Amino acid sequence: MLRYTVRRLLLAIPTLLAVLTIIFVIVRVAPGDPATAALGDYASEEAVRALRQRMGLDRPLWQQYLSFLADLLRGDLGKSLITGQPVVDQIRHVLPYTVELTLAAIVVGLVIGIPIGIVTAIRRNTLVDYAGRVVSLAGLSVPAFYLGILLIYLFAVRLRLFPALGAAEFSKPGAHLHALVLPALSLGLIEAAYVTRMTRSVVLGVLHEDYVRTARAKGLPERIVLFGHALRSAMIPLVSLIGLFAISLIGGSVLTEEVFARPGLGKLMIGAMKQKDYTMLQSIMVVYAIVIVVINLLTDLLYGVVDPRVRYE
Amino acid sequence: MDANRPLDEAKRTGITRRMTRRAVLRRMASIGLAASAFAPLLAACRQQEATPAPGGVTPQPATPTPGAATPTAAQTPAGATPTPAAERAVLNYGVGAADITTLDPHFAAATQDRNIVDMVFNALIRYKPGDSTQFEPDLAVEIPDPEETADGKQVWTFKLRQGVMWHAGPQNDAYELTADDVVYSLQKSANKDRSAYAADYSGMTFEKVDNYTVKITLERPLSPTLFLPKVANYNGGFIVSRRAVEAMGDEAIKTHPIGTGPFKFKSYASKDRVELEANDGYFRSAPKLAGVQVRFMSDATSRELALKSGEMDVVSGISDSAWVQKINQEPKLQADVFGVGEVAFLNLNTAREPLNDVRVRQAILYAIDRDAHLAVFGGPPVAQNVFSVVPAAFMRGGLTEEEARQAGVAYGRDLDRSRQLLAEAGLGGGFTLKMVTSEMDAYRKNYEVLQEELREIGITVELDVVDHPTMHRLIREDVNPIVIYVAFRPNADVYLTQFFHSDSIVVTGPKPNTNFSHYDQIDDLIEQARVETDPKRQEELWKQANIKILQDAVGFPLHFINQVYGRSKAVDYGHELKASLALYPGFTEQTTVQK
Repeated sequence: MLRYTVRRLLLAIPTLLAVLTIIFVIVRVAPGDPATAALGDYASEEAVRALRQRMGLDRPLWQQYLSFLADLLRGDLGKSLITGQPVVDQIRHVLPYTVELTLAAIVVGLVIGIPIGIVTAIRRNTLVDYAGRVVSLAGLSVPAFYLGILLIYLFAVRLRLFPALGAAEFSKPGAHLHALVLPALSLGLIEAAYVTRMTRSVVLGVLHEDYVRTARAKGLPERIVLFGHALRSAMIPLVSLIGLFAISLIGGSVLTEEVFARPGLGKLMIGAMKQKDYTMLQSIMVVYAIVIVVINLLTDLLYGVVDPRVRYE
Repeated sequence: MDANRPLDEAKRTGITRRMTRRAVLRRMASIGLAASAFAPLLAACRQQEATPAPGGVTPQPATPTPGAATPTAAQTPAGATPTPAAERAVLNYGVGAADITTLDPHFAAATQDRNIVDMVFNALIRYKPGDSTQFEPDLAVEIPDPEETADGKQVWTFKLRQGVMWHAGPQNDAYELTADDVVYSLQKSANKDRSAYAADYSGMTFEKVDNYTVKITLERPLSPTLFLPKVANYNGGFIVSRRAVEAMGDEAIKTHPIGTGPFKFKSYASKDRVELEANDGYFRSAPKLAGVQVRFMSDATSRELALKSGEMDVVSGISDSAWVQKINQEPKLQADVFGVGEVAFLNLNTAREPLNDVRVRQAILYAIDRDAHLAVFGGPPVAQNVFSVVPAAFMRGGLTEEEARQAGVAYGRDLDRSRQLLAEAGLGGGFTLKMVTSEMDAYRKNYEVLQEELREIGITVELDVVDHPTMHRLIREDVNPIVIYVAFRPNADVYLTQFFHSDSIVVTGPKPNTNFSHYDQIDDLIEQARVETDPKRQEELWKQANIKILQDAVGFPLHFINQVYGRSKAVDYGHELKASLALYPGFTEQTTVQK
């Protein structure tokens, strides 16, 4: 497994390099530049030119690209073009918020989605099944940021049960968890819709397997057939799909963080885009790319953990 | 059942191991799971929100005038012990921006930067809080009168307040402000490598007379209207601490400002918030607030909901009167609409056929219905009429409606006249104009209304919507025969110079700026007014320039758009709110929140 892991990590390097190059080009091809964005349209061309020079944007593109790669190799994510602050500090500050939100949303998704999926599978083609499928279809159709706005309106503005702003300091755990509820729900409920449909489908398939029929034939109570035999097998593909959920949630968290004015990688990235902060944007993308590569790797490794039949060669 | 097919396949994948994880991902993508991974890209496609437009509830048309108040050193830090910070409220302010750009006041241009800088720093004089039509002393004890020297120079001598203390910083203790700081700061403002506003200070020298006296000498005399803004709390006029800047460096003060204002910098979290705390040693008096927390909230809906939930006390709003009405329907909330207003105006390119014919340009102006342009912003109070590019509501030199009518340049929709002018120009059959517009409402809506108006006189406008920075680049490359521009400039000289002086002609001018009309007929009026020290005569010259612009149909004002904010009624700004150059309501030592 170690050799496999190392090989996968090495294979990730060209992927990352390609991603970095694309990111580097895209952020610069986009119209506008950081100096104009910083000084506004009031500033004279001379002032804008002077700022571009100070930002190092007057250098040839290839020079900027090489110094970007050289800095990365040294583990230096650079400084924000706009504020001059080290990017790594800012990412370090917000990363826990994004990780926490993602994990919380996974928990919400699984805790709600799996039971509903099982029930709708067992009660296939009943009213419960139809209701569950309609709700999950609705969940698939609602963007997380829109659900977030609805939740804020209902629970923060009308009922005043939770704050509209989705974050508090880690030093205040009570307030922190309280503030996490709505963002986690807005992401997690949509994830629950996916999990529901996935669970229902998997459980339905397992219930028709020979070993389930055998268990029933030998007279086991339905409860034991279900929990002792069917569901244990059904959970294997679900567990392995958590990684995929995590990746989709990291993407989904971008707008959720924006709606809840919550610190996070996504909010950092949107801000960097608006300010044309090239170095910040590049570095966030690097972090996203690394996180996704790592999650993919962990997901592959998880197969072996949940299913001993899998071998890594 | 078809919808379950990919799920069934995914299930088999998990159990039989015949498919790879990649295949599972592919299957999942087919049911949309992977779609949310593209959310960052979708986010990038979201329109960048317009910066809250400056605007005003039509303050009286007056140029800032030296205020009557003349604070003295005796007014410096009140001896009374301030209420402990724990017993005072923190004001939560949700600003419609992603982050600060810089808190170095000599570069600050974005609304959120101007807001914070305004709370942290002072200047020699200041615009009266909530009323940018009046000046009053700030760090100076009074607003001086200028003196003329024998060699034709002009000297302004400022006496400083005593006992004004700088905020303590990471590398400086609190210390008293002196003339050294003022001279250092103004020299920084005049240095193009250390200030975005250096051009405003060319031909000026700064000199310390004694610890509490500063002398500013101008090579060419200026009227108070043009000079005083340079030493006021706007752009390069803010005074920075010599010791702090020298110790920290220009780069560090971008995120850690050290000033003398009522609030001092406490912390900054990128893309999240800036925290300011009360400066209890503030020379006017200790603030009634414990501090101000500025939260960066780009999403207008989130700001509105946070205001309604009570988590935000003040938020930047949406420039539409419908939003104002909506907020005012909430029993605990109040929408504030105030100046300064950004003027939306047409620039008609005289170098481009067929607009090089004045009859064609006039025909276009006679097709415009000002009310239609107002209506797309919900009309007053957010959007209001204006009758010259220089807005008379906010500064000297603009034309009131009556003045424009008297001069015969108010125009007004008259389609018959418009068609007649086109026919006289030999263009009765109409023609086509191609233009680009920004996706921002303030631009796009106006272009779309213009498109409809011109269609009625046979002119087809082909409109291409591009993102805001691209529009700014393209119009500076002279692609548009008609440019609609939305801008506030601090005085008539800047408006006229940047948009109508031949030096500023885009692409071909010696100092290309924003003269999109390629106009060169009022250079002499602009230059005469600039050096005219008699305010009345100066104002008259600016009005003449505005009349000429309209007679020649090169610039046409549509309306101005006010600043719009929402606040809890528990907030009392501590001043009347008419117009603010800092583009927010203004939080001072007098501001309170009842919590």
